[in-house]
Order: sequence, then structure tokens, then C-alpha cells
Amino acid sequence: MQSNVMRVLVGIAAVAAAVILLIVLKDDGDDKSGGGEQTAKTEPVSSGGQGSGQKKEKPAIPTIVIRNGKPVGGIAEISVDEGEFVRFEVDSDVSDEIHVHGYDLMKDVEAGGSVSFDFPATIEGIFEAELEGRGEQILELTVNP
Amino acid sequence: MTISGLAGWLPFAHALVARQDLPIPAWLFAWGASIVLIVSFFALSAAWREPRFEDERWRSLGAGLSRALLGMPAQVICGLAGVLLLGVSVYAGLRGTEAPDRNFAITFLFVTVWLGFPVLSVLLGNVFKMFNPWRAVGRAVGGAFEAIAGQRFAHAVYPERLGRWPAAIGLLAFVWLEIVYGVSGGVAVGLEPHSAAVAALLYSGYTLTMMAVFGVEEWCERGEIFSVYFGMFSRLGAFSVRDGRLGRRRPLSGATSWATIPGSTAVVLASIATTSFDGGQEGVFKGGIEKGYDWLVEGGLEKTASLRLTDTFFIALCFAGVALVYLAGVRGMASVKGAPPLRKLTPGFAHTLIPIAFAYLVAHYFSLFVFQEQAQFGYLLSDPLGNAHTDLFGTASWGIDFKVLSANAIWYVQVAALVIGHVVGLVLAHDRATAWWGDYRDAARSQYWMLAVMVAFTCFGLYLLSAANG
Repeated sequence: MQSNVMRVLVGIAAVAAAVILLIVLKDDGDDKSGGGEQTAKTEPVSSGGQGSGQKKEKPAIPTIVIRNGKPVGGIAEISVDEGEFVRFEVDSDVSDEIHVHGYDLMKDVEAGGSVSFDFPATIEGIFEAELEGRGEQILELTVNP
Repeated sequence: MTISGLAGWLPFAHALVARQDLPIPAWLFAWGASIVLIVSFFALSAAWREPRFEDERWRSLGAGLSRALLGMPAQVICGLAGVLLLGVSVYAGLRGTEAPDRNFAITFLFVTVWLGFPVLSVLLGNVFKMFNPWRAVGRAVGGAFEAIAGQRFAHAVYPERLGRWPAAIGLLAFVWLEIVYGVSGGVAVGLEPHSAAVAALLYSGYTLTMMAVFGVEEWCERGEIFSVYFGMFSRLGAFSVRDGRLGRRRPLSGATSWATIPGSTAVVLASIATTSFDGGQEGVFKGGIEKGYDWLVEGGLEKTASLRLTDTFFIALCFAGVALVYLAGVRGMASVKGAPPLRKLTPGFAHTLIPIAFAYLVAHYFSLFVFQEQAQFGYLLSDPLGNAHTDLFGTASWGIDFKVLSANAIWYVQVAALVIGHVVGLVLAHDRATAWWGDYRDAARSQYWMLAVMVAFTCFGLYLLSAANG
């Protein structure tokens, strides 16, 4: 009985340890690739910000394209660290109001027009931006500490 | 700054939550899980051999305090407050805006009451009993009947075997209404204030009928969802009322006698299951929910019905899963020498899951509660209908300060809640085992099984909050 129970316990501990290890390793990998992406993408964004007077060769500022009242390619995802700036543009074929929840920013967009957002990421968490009138989510904004 | 397409296509609009929690980072998840395992192995060699919580050691806090807090004037005032607040909620739901975050009804019923009373109950005892609007109405009507007819109303005898099953099923139904029913065109949009008000009216009718049939106190103890649910959490705390007197008992000791009524096990399992579903519906269950939804839509079912049906199936699945883990643990305990019969053992350890259920609640809804209470005591108080016509207390233009909690603060509260809940659960389980097994070595052996159950629940709870649940 005693040895049986011990075996069960060791089994549980081994499984638990394996699961934890798996998750840690898996997320470490994610973190690295995420970090790599971040540095890669931060530069063009900042240079795009400085050279905003020049013609844009590449869309340095991420643009969310709205067609038929829905974001093309699904809900966009932007991830920044606290203190950085959140910059994106919305190019819409419908007129609506764009609402960034949590930060409570609202801007109107005309049909066929575009509107840009540029604000410091001061609140940590995950936030939605949506076409307020349609209740259609277009962006998931993640602000990491 | 990175931008990429979000893989999932089934959008869940969050009616209330403008700021969602960031998932617990991997390193904290690993720390939390490691602490749980280490604590658990220490628990195996727990020192005490005599039960310490089976006896409440209840002591009165004095007649004066009891009279002031429990006397007729206090009961009338609290009862009226309960009825008034329910009335305001129903009115706001029926007449106010359909925007859930601007309407008093949704935040009051699903955040302030539903999440606030479990915390209050642990800290102060079963306070909901004083504010319960249906109990207040039921007692007033009963008293009036007695005064006019000169005799007590003859109630039917409540079937003993039914126990707390009506409350367990009601608990599932309530959470179903909260997170499953609010669907529009295949998208979960959250419950609308009007539906919430109608549900509250229907529930009031049902509850008052049941109270008339079985008696007010009898129904509150067994069938009334909120009384049973909040009452369960109050058993963890130190304050309780006996024979109309307020007293203090050893903390946690009240829990040991809670599950003696049939169906109690189902209530605590339902609580863990529903929180699990809510935590996993956009993570670990998301793929499954989408598949089920697709399958039903392709089968020709309407979108709204498809999503509701799939979600319902997954809530049932959560309940079955949680129950299975617990029942497997009980089976294991039954195999240890000197074990009591299974039918005594199954409810016998149900109370040890109350701290886990409480930890799940705190971990999942702590930040929501802190943010939404700012709305409750700010703009919702002054403008309950949410149509910008009233500013009763001059707070209608207040907003929610989302900066009051940093992501780190939320993470630490979440992990701490789960770890503490785990430890308290282990303490209660060990204590029950020492009471029921004559030999302390057999008692310790039986606890390997409960330990496995609790490690499973706590690590699953951590997992639901972690980045892995994405």
C-alpha cells in the first residue's frame, strides 16, 4: 500500500513537473520570437514617425483596413510595453466612430477616409478597439508591464 | 510594437470589461505551481493528529451587539434596503439603456452582489440573510398572514432527498444566463439589461412561490440560489448567528458541518465548474467551442442557438470534469483501510473544496470587481438608467481609473489566492481525515488522494490564468 501510494505520488509529481517544464519552455520560445519581432518592428515605426512628412515607402505605421464594416484579415493585434507609444491607422470604407476601450479614446472616421491614433501606453492590460456604431471589434491592444 | 492577425475568428465582445487581465507570465506560473507542489508535500507530513475544526467553539459576542445588529429594527431596515435595491435594478433593467456597462442592473447584480457577497460573507458572516429581498418579503407576508388568520401558514414538508439540488441547478442556470444566454447572431455579446430584469422578476416569482410552499427559512437553506451560495462561503469565516445571537467561532470550523444536506457537493462543484468555464471559454475551450459551433451551424441550426448550445455543452463538460476529479479522489480514499462507506465519504470532503471555489472566484474576478465597483459607486449610482438624464449624487461623469491596479498587482493577487485556497483546502481535508480515520497513519494515507485532487484543481486554476491558456 505504502509503496503503491508513493509510486502514485512520484508519478503525479513527475507529470506536474513535466507539464510545468513544457509550459515554461514553450513560453520562453514565444517570448524570444516575440522580442525579436518587437525590436525588428519598432525601428521602422519610429523612423516612420519621424519622417512622417516624407512619402511612405512602406507602411511603417500599422494600418487596419476596414472593408464592409469588418477588419480585413481579422481582428488586428498590437502589442507594446508600458510607456511606449501606440500608433496605428484605420482605413475604413464605412463611416463610424472608433473607440479604444480602457483608454476611452474616440475618433470619427468617414466612409473612404482614414484616421490615425498615437497615444502613450499608460495602462497595462488587454484592450479592445471597435467600430462603436457596429459593435465590431477591429483591434486587440496588449500593453505589457 | 507588433501587429499581426488574430487567429481566432469568433469574437467575444466584453460587455463590461474594458480592461482585461494580462495572462500570468510563464515564470510566475512556474513559481506558483512549484509552491503548490512543495506546500503539498509538506502537508503530507502535517503534524496534528486530533481534529481541530470539527468543533466550532462558538462564543457569543454579547447581547447588546446582537440586539443592535440583528434586532427587529435592523432586520426591517436591511430587508427594505434589499427590496429597494432589487427594485432599482429591475427598473433600471427595464427602463434604462441596453448598454450593459452603462446600466445599473448588470453591474449591480453580476458584480456588486454576485462577487461582493462571497467576500463579505467570508469576512463578516452570512450578511446576505439580512439583505435577502425575497426572505424579507416572504417573512412580511407570513407575518401578515399570521396576524390576520391567527394561525401559522401550513407549509409542505420539504423532501429531504432534494436537499440543495435546486440551488446547485440554479447556480448553473444563473451563470448560464450571465455568460451563455447573451448571444446575438453567433457572437457572445453579454447579457442585456432588459433580459436581466425579466430574469430577476421571473426568479422573484419562483422564489416567493417556493417560500410559500416550503417555508421561507427552509427554502433559503436549501433552494434559494443566492442564500445557499453566499451561505456556503460564510462558513469559512469566524462570525455566525446561533439562536438569534451573534457569535464568533474558530475560522473554517463552520465549513465542517456545511455539506450534511444532500446536494451540497453539487453546489461547490458547480461553483468551481462555472468559474473554470468562464476562464477557459476564450482559451483552452475556445477551439472546441468553435468546432462545436461550426458543426451545428453546418447542420442547419441557427447561429444564436448553435453558440448557446455549444457553450451549454461545455459548461456541462466542465461540471462533469470537475465532479469526476473529485469523485475519483473520493474513490481513492475509500480504498484506504478503515474508510467510512462511500455514501458518507462523498459529501464528507465537499466542504474542503469551498476555499478552492473561493480562490477561483478571487483569482478570476478580482480586477473586474475593483474596476467595476468604481463605476457602481460613480456613474451608475448617479445615472442608474444610463441615459444621461439624471445626476443624483453629482458623480455621473466619473469614469473608471484603470491604473489603480498594475498588471503585476493583479498577478500576485491571483497566484496568492490560489495558493492560499489550496493550503486551506488541504488543512480542512487533513482535519476531516483525522476525525474519520481512527489511525492517523491511515488518515494521512487517505489524504494522498485529496492532495492529488487539490493539486489538480489549483494547477488547473493557475493554468487558466496563464499565457498557456491562450
